[in-house]
Amino acid sequence: MMSIPIIAQAKIYTSIEQAQKILFPNKQLSKTPIIITDDLQETMRRASSIRHPFQGDRIWKTADGSWLIVDEVVGKHEMITYAVGISPNGSVLGVEILEYVESYGYEVAEAQWRKQFIGKSATDPIKLNQDIQNIGGATLSCKHLSDGVKRVTVLFEAALKAK
Amino acid sequence: MTMKLTIKRLIAFSCLLAAALHFSFAHAGEGVFGWIYTLDLQPKGKLEFEQRLQLNKAQAAGTYDAWTARTELEYGLTNDLQVAGYINSYYTHANQNYTNPEACGDSPSCTGGYGVPSTHDSSTAYSKSGIEGGSLEAIYRITNPVTSPVGVGLYLEPTWGRNKDELEARLLLQSNFIDDRLVLAGNVVVANERLKFIENGDVPESMLDFLVGASYRFAPKWSAGVEARFHNDYSELNLRNQVQRATFVGPNMHYAAKDWWVTGAWRYQLAGGTCMGGGEAECSNARVWDSHSVNEFIVKVGFPLN
Repeated sequence: MMSIPIIAQAKIYTSIEQAQKILFPNKQLSKTPIIITDDLQETMRRASSIRHPFQGDRIWKTADGSWLIVDEVVGKHEMITYAVGISPNGSVLGVEILEYVESYGYEVAEAQWRKQFIGKSATDPIKLNQDIQNIGGATLSCKHLSDGVKRVTVLFEAALKAK
Repeated sequence: MTMKLTIKRLIAFSCLLAAALHFSFAHAGEGVFGWIYTLDLQPKGKLEFEQRLQLNKAQAAGTYDAWTARTELEYGLTNDLQVAGYINSYYTHANQNYTNPEACGDSPSCTGGYGVPSTHDSSTAYSKSGIEGGSLEAIYRITNPVTSPVGVGLYLEPTWGRNKDELEARLLLQSNFIDDRLVLAGNVVVANERLKFIENGDVPESMLDFLVGASYRFAPKWSAGVEARFHNDYSELNLRNQVQRATFVGPNMHYAAKDWWVTGAWRYQLAGGTCMGGGEAECSNARVWDSHSVNEFIVKVGFPLN
């Protein structure tokens, strides 16, 4: 699954619609927002160590039980927005970077780095320098995105799987 | 007149470079603190321009303005080894800024402090500006605070100058919290110096500083925090014979966009500083003077060049 992010003025903008087409081509998605309880927030925080709260209003479901989740994590200067496709069994189908506004570290948007997440699920560490390789000079972005994908897989296990 | 021209020139030079560079370049290795070094280094192959302007203002009485400008290029040799080169310039204006009888004799005040030669008539004002010299700097990051509980680094900076030569080493420590938005940092600074503007032009000194601070990224692009300096000066090399002890504390503010960043900070010298070991003339009003002042201000701007 290849994506072509739009790189203009050193910003990466892939719209949610583009991410949907890339991750779930020819599939209908229906928006399925969920309420993130404090307990769920805490479960995700413990698993990923991310403090920035997860918003439950950017979640879509396909007819076959796959999920598209859009989330954001702290970047060096601004938030990094990304989308994760999850299969009905909870494994990562793909990760797309939607918005990245930093001085450097744009390699996180390259398919080569993102493909490390494919097939991972909540039972995997999804931890930088463990099962996810770092990009030198983009350590903070790599770490936060890895933690971000982790919390999305945990979200699936804790709240989406049963839906 | 000389003062205004010189300060204007320093500021104009900084602004000119800043404006010229701003058009073409995208950013890192940025300093969220005014004086504390962190382990945020240039990635491999990245070059950054940085301009610093510091003002040490006000001593015991009269006027004391010591401006220091440092123009820097820093480069990432590897992702964990950064090297840099500086051109340093200065402007010092002192007039009746000392009151200690050991320095002033029978006069209620006199002109003295860092940069004022011992041959200068202390009853008159002193002003001088120029290129001070240059520095080289290397920072090696042993552990990265983004991926380790405690980031550790080593820093070495030799300086050759008109007023002093110096070899400074630092131990850099940093821990990050709350998605790396809260940065706690500390530097242990040791330096051996050779002062050239007094006596025979070869006066040894050494220094031991502990710098600690916290900075919190409270909004995208914006950080603010506090930093403190616990300063010790010695009249011999290798931290022998302590002559000064002083404490400074103050706020910092940092703004960083993709293509540039700026940091401003202020340090205030708390009352309670002391001089000893033969250096008593440098103290009065429970504060330490010499190169120090009541207030220290710094502004730094940085632009990545590639």
